[in-house]
Amino acid sequence: MSSIRLRFALIVASTAGIISRTLLRRPGETLPGRLLLLIAPDALKQLSKNRRIILVSGTNGKTSTTREIATLLRPLGRIATSPSGSNLTRGSATAMMKRSALAVLEVDELHLPEVVAATNPEYVLLLNLTRDQLHRMHEVKRVADRWRSMVESAPTTEFIGDIDDPFINYVLQGAHKLTTISFGGRAHQDGAVCPQCGRYMEWSAGNYSSDCGLTNSGADITLSAGNASYRNSELARVVAKKFGIDDVPSTDLHLMERRVSKKFGAVNASFRLTKNPASWSEALAGLRSNRITLILNAREVDGIDTSWIWDISFAALAGKEVVVTGERGIDLAYRLHVEGVKAVLVTTFDEAIAYFAEGEIEVLAAYTAFHGLVM
Amino acid sequence: MPKSELSIVRVHNELLGTYGDRGNSDVLAFRAQARGISADVVDISYRDALPTTGDIYLLGGAEDAAQVLSTDALNRSLFAATIENGAVLLAICAGFQIIGTSYYAQGNRVDGIGLLDMETLPGDRRYVGDIKIHSPWCESDITGFENHGGKTILGRDISPFGEVITGFGNGESGVDGAVVGNIFGTYLHGPILARNPEFADLLLARAVGKALEPFDDELAKRYASERRKAVR
Repeated sequence: MSSIRLRFALIVASTAGIISRTLLRRPGETLPGRLLLLIAPDALKQLSKNRRIILVSGTNGKTSTTREIATLLRPLGRIATSPSGSNLTRGSATAMMKRSALAVLEVDELHLPEVVAATNPEYVLLLNLTRDQLHRMHEVKRVADRWRSMVESAPTTEFIGDIDDPFINYVLQGAHKLTTISFGGRAHQDGAVCPQCGRYMEWSAGNYSSDCGLTNSGADITLSAGNASYRNSELARVVAKKFGIDDVPSTDLHLMERRVSKKFGAVNASFRLTKNPASWSEALAGLRSNRITLILNAREVDGIDTSWIWDISFAALAGKEVVVTGERGIDLAYRLHVEGVKAVLVTTFDEAIAYFAEGEIEVLAAYTAFHGLVM
Repeated sequence: MPKSELSIVRVHNELLGTYGDRGNSDVLAFRAQARGISADVVDISYRDALPTTGDIYLLGGAEDAAQVLSTDALNRSLFAATIENGAVLLAICAGFQIIGTSYYAQGNRVDGIGLLDMETLPGDRRYVGDIKIHSPWCESDITGFENHGGKTILGRDISPFGEVITGFGNGESGVDGAVVGNIFGTYLHGPILARNPEFADLLLARAVGKALEPFDDELAKRYASERRKAVR
């Protein structure tokens, strides 16, 4: 590809980004990358040359971990990054338009192989793989298999991952360069079958060991156990250390939780993104308020199938004041009803706000609701 | 003699639980208890011996490797004999394929447990999306969500569970599932019993051995009716 074509593509894409941000008041993170790739299909590859690139992927925690790595690496200079979770290939292309020696990008699970091939990253951090958007992913194992081929065909990239997740461990087994991390083990909803050999896997106190040898014991780095925010912050530090950044002050884990506060009249709402069984369970375990609103939608990015809400225990909501809403709020309301958790079902988020009228509330919101209400 | 206690056996949920399948047993127990029928949900894992005294057995959806493991364990148990003795069975998606004579997993043909004369072949595509069927066993249309890669060919003497209105079911044949006696197989998850209380009550009535008292659960009715309207 000629550099003239790339330069032309960059001008068009940058202009579109400026128009999108100033005139249309949109974040302008997708359109420029889309145009860029349309005009210069190998733009991402071209823009990746001679740059140090870190990619972050996994079912949960991509956005906050990417942000944390970018924060930790700030002393090293300008960093190109995908700030608001625009993580498809075109989002990566938009982020890479910024001139910088370093880039930290979050990448969607299914787009990761393509982005790894195009960017030839120095490091890829793999966080976790759990049930999510099965209408699109089909099976957790299917995503893991794609990743496994990806790591096998990226000999110069170092893959860093949390092997308490057996799917991540299975993927890393194929890597040429790798760093494995364990937090001492934790249960995995799809961990009954070994992703490597297909045999039934023995678990004991969150640790597994398969007949084929796949196990989370003997990791390169062993850390103490903790919640997802803590784990993601520690994984970000492992990456930062690779760049010589050490001894940084401890992270504010509340920031890692990706909690966003917003006022709606006299109601002060603290939002968390909940999009699959793992992120719901994490958010329910970390509830701070007794006044809760739950929002369930089922658009494409939320997952158009809501069956997974039955994989979550909502027992933590018992005795709290719970309002349920969202386009598929009724699915959630019925699920709580069967579990014996009292909740009020309302049609819109405005009605949920009206119900509480004033004071602090906590909102657990589906992806599209989270982005629609607070981003 | 009608039963006043039910044992609901959730089979290999750690393997056959990919699509919120545990919800089906929760709904059965909930609707039984609402009628004063005591109902216990018993979780039987891959390593456990399968009880032969259950009233309702449930098999759910699975990824390929898990489906094969579950089939092996069922073949080593008295499961087929227990169901042939008249216990109620709800088999969904991968669980539905298991009870036939054969299915495909990871590209290989695998023998099922042969409870029903039907085989599942690789589909021409993956069948994903909302599904609505009309079943002669229920007055209202039944809705759910399907996500599978197999097409199921029923033997000559086997009735489908219903006619497909929207979606795929057993593939491109226009029907979904299979019914023989107290055995109900279908591709609908959702979970199906949460979305279709009438079907949940049918299974309970079969297990108890008599018609159930009415249970006016407004939220359940509204949920079922909203899904019927939404899935066109």
